[in-house]
Amino acid sequence: MKTTKKINLDGISAIMYPLAFGIIVFLMWQGGVLNTLLHTDTNTLPPPSRINSIIFDNTAKILLNLKATIIVALIGLLLGSLIGYGTAIIAAQNKKWGSGGITLASAFNAVPIVALAPVMNNLTKHFSSNVDYRSMLAKTIVVMIVCIASMAVNAYRGLTELKPFAKDLMKTYAASNFTIFKKLLLPNSVPYVFTALRVSLPASIISALVTEYFSEKVIGVGRQIRENIVTAQFATAWAYIIVSCFLGIVLYVILLLVENSVMKNRKIK
Amino acid sequence: MAELNKKKESNPFVTLVWTLGFFIIWEIIAFLVEASPSIRSPEKVLPHFWKIIATAFDSKKINGSETAIQLVWLNAKVTLLRSAQGFFIGASIGFLLAILMSLTNVVKKIAFPYLMIIQMIPILGMAPIILSFTGDIDTSRVVIAAILTFYPVATNTLAGLEAVEKEKHELMYSYAAKKWQLYIKTLIPACIPYLFTGLKVSAPLAITASILVDTLQGGIGLGCLLSQSLKGAMTRYVFWLIVVISAAIGILSYLLMGIIEDLVSSHKKAERACKR
Amino acid sequence: MERKNIKKATFLVFAAMVVLSFSSCSKEESATVTETKEVSTTTTTVSEVKTDKDRILEAAAAGKIGNWGLGNEYEILALLAKYDQPLEFLSQDFTMDGFDDDSIELASAMTYNELGLVKNDYDGAYGYGDSVGYIDMNDEGVAMLEDNLFTTKEFAMANPNTVKAFIYASLKGWADACADPSAAAEVVYKYGSSVSSEHQLYMASEVKKLVETDTLGNPVSNYGYMDDAAIQQTLDLAKTYIQLDDSKAAEKLASLTIDDIRDTSYWVAATESVDGSDLGTPEKTDVKIQLKWLPQSQFMGYYMALDKGYYDEVGLNVTIVPGGGDIAETTAVYNGTVDFGVTWVSNMISANAAGMGLLEVAQIYQRSGLLLVYKK
Repeated sequence: MKTTKKINLDGISAIMYPLAFGIIVFLMWQGGVLNTLLHTDTNTLPPPSRINSIIFDNTAKILLNLKATIIVALIGLLLGSLIGYGTAIIAAQNKKWGSGGITLASAFNAVPIVALAPVMNNLTKHFSSNVDYRSMLAKTIVVMIVCIASMAVNAYRGLTELKPFAKDLMKTYAASNFTIFKKLLLPNSVPYVFTALRVSLPASIISALVTEYFSEKVIGVGRQIRENIVTAQFATAWAYIIVSCFLGIVLYVILLLVENSVMKNRKIK
Repeated sequence: MAELNKKKESNPFVTLVWTLGFFIIWEIIAFLVEASPSIRSPEKVLPHFWKIIATAFDSKKINGSETAIQLVWLNAKVTLLRSAQGFFIGASIGFLLAILMSLTNVVKKIAFPYLMIIQMIPILGMAPIILSFTGDIDTSRVVIAAILTFYPVATNTLAGLEAVEKEKHELMYSYAAKKWQLYIKTLIPACIPYLFTGLKVSAPLAITASILVDTLQGGIGLGCLLSQSLKGAMTRYVFWLIVVISAAIGILSYLLMGIIEDLVSSHKKAERACKR
Repeated sequence: MERKNIKKATFLVFAAMVVLSFSSCSKEESATVTETKEVSTTTTTVSEVKTDKDRILEAAAAGKIGNWGLGNEYEILALLAKYDQPLEFLSQDFTMDGFDDDSIELASAMTYNELGLVKNDYDGAYGYGDSVGYIDMNDEGVAMLEDNLFTTKEFAMANPNTVKAFIYASLKGWADACADPSAAAEVVYKYGSSVSSEHQLYMASEVKKLVETDTLGNPVSNYGYMDDAAIQQTLDLAKTYIQLDDSKAAEKLASLTIDDIRDTSYWVAATESVDGSDLGTPEKTDVKIQLKWLPQSQFMGYYMALDKGYYDEVGLNVTIVPGGGDIAETTAVYNGTVDFGVTWVSNMISANAAGMGLLEVAQIYQRSGLLLVYKK
């Protein structure tokens, strides 16, 4: 009884404190105090009211660009995570060789996105003659590559760090490899999968934004941010930045909710 | 976080075979690209790895005074220095922030969601504000690299500080240890493995971030050269050389953190052994 | 219990992904169908000898007109509007790869840069020689002025002598550079360009043409001259084709006149000066100029002035800052990191629409250097 009350209080303050801080920052921003603190004028950092009015004036256009970004980020995240998980399954078959492969997979993260994007543009030109399709594909591949490593590394841990003798026990029951995977390895790796997703979800959005800078089609929140920054339209650029942050937060909260419900049900069992 | 260091079974032979395997696959794909009739300029899709390496040893002057590798190295040095500065500042701030967050619950609760949000602001959006604040593009580049690196360090260190078992706390308090003693004697040493996990993530991040930040304005830097190698009149192999070298630097920075960690932890072990 | 929930969650995520991807794919497919139809109808009507108009209509129908975007696209949009085509283009990524592999039929190119890369056969160039042709924006009547010299209104007011002295020395550099482009190319090369010397030389000879010829093809002898008619045409086109989402900025754009974007008095004073010493003591002596792009012959006049000591002569200590990144020169001049900048007039107009208060003090390029290049 006591503990639940404490958790509730904790939960409330975990929301209230940041919210209060956010409101203070918002007021400082709107009131121009933030601009004074950062030595920036209202052109470089426009007040929220101005940004809001731009968002509401251009809802249709923003949604169109947002849709393109969401598709690239989520499909890239899904494919990258699946490949990462698949790599981890293969690597977990033989720990001695597997861990080396996982290290190699994580080395891909050292290649900057700015370098990947133009290469993928040239590569995908040979896959499809339809620009809409291939520019989406090129962007998705880049996001996918970014997402592989964290899933591979974490899932590998989830598949190998088991309770002692758990696997041996399964084997004494003469369980098939598939059954071992289904009953033991997969459930054991679930928390690790969520750890990986919590890292790669923000990464997938940021990399989707950056690949859009270089893509053949002028579409996407990232591309709009760049167009407006380069042509000095900071207020409009900020509108898109706020939208992209909002997208990131919403997707992250959804992920946390899914994680919570999945993990809770595991405990009830 | 890519907690690779948890289990280190670094067998040099295994790593070698994997690396070789990777390059064999690269060469096969490059061969297929070259053989494909629809791909007119294979070096724009994926050239042979040995040709990229050959470019490094080519004595032909790319811009009158430097060969390809000299030019890349000249720019890499600048980017490396900037990313090292950014990494150092970012890691320090991340570490201090983690301690501050573990000290006061209020700071932790306030800061945590916002640290997350800062990571989601595209660099391009932050850049003009930081530029007008610092008034100098190179300082801005360092600042942005720092902003992008402190998050993994802060979160991992905090996780480490929180992971120290309660019993250790209570034991120290029973010795009537002061709070700062508690931190210096138990908490900070205990969170060092976690700190290095964070450092290993953010070291390559600092480098890729610096390369991205380079493209904000012209000048010297790997990112600048990268875009120049696509825009200007020079062979496409310079571009590939940059890709290979920047990836190599990123991997090396990761390995370097591992080496430092080994040094620190072996030092700690030796200390403990002496005390016994 | 546990597995069911995991299954449920993964199923939900999958379902969401599938729905998302299908909804996007189906739209993309329908777009392709209409596109191919349009192509087939136009190809049947095209006659043996293609005119420029045919080429534009054909490429527009196929959706294969390229430009870099990012504020470089307004002339292309004006051209498309002239031929009643939809205002859409493919994004070129600053290489000419798209032109090379035929994913772009009509590719944007600057006379002094990309055209040389397409035609010539040095390292990194594409070697098409005379097998390519081009459509010139000046001939099409949609030319907008490009490389100028600008500062902020505030800076010009506070430091009039610095501005005059800077214009004076810079124009002297431009005169020298145009008198001997190959010497200028070497000077630029010396100051750290990453472009090959052959390309630098090609660029210098082409830039000379842009500096000494106006949009109608007439010779210009007074360097940096600000032609009101050409600036007016640039402003008019900018007002039509710069699309701003910010309604406040859009209002400002519509209200701009050429007096809001250029001031000829500093240039007049500089050109009337006998030897630069009669321009008064500069208020600020350490000044920086940010280029629009990487160091190359496009900016040879400034490098020439620096190399020959013309800036020193008028008492200025000048640093040349290379551009070419995403922090535009307009932003850098506006927030005071640099004092002068080189930009396209259209970019200055959109920056002023956003409230930046920038002021052109000399117009270096007298005609548009933008072309649409095609394979014959």
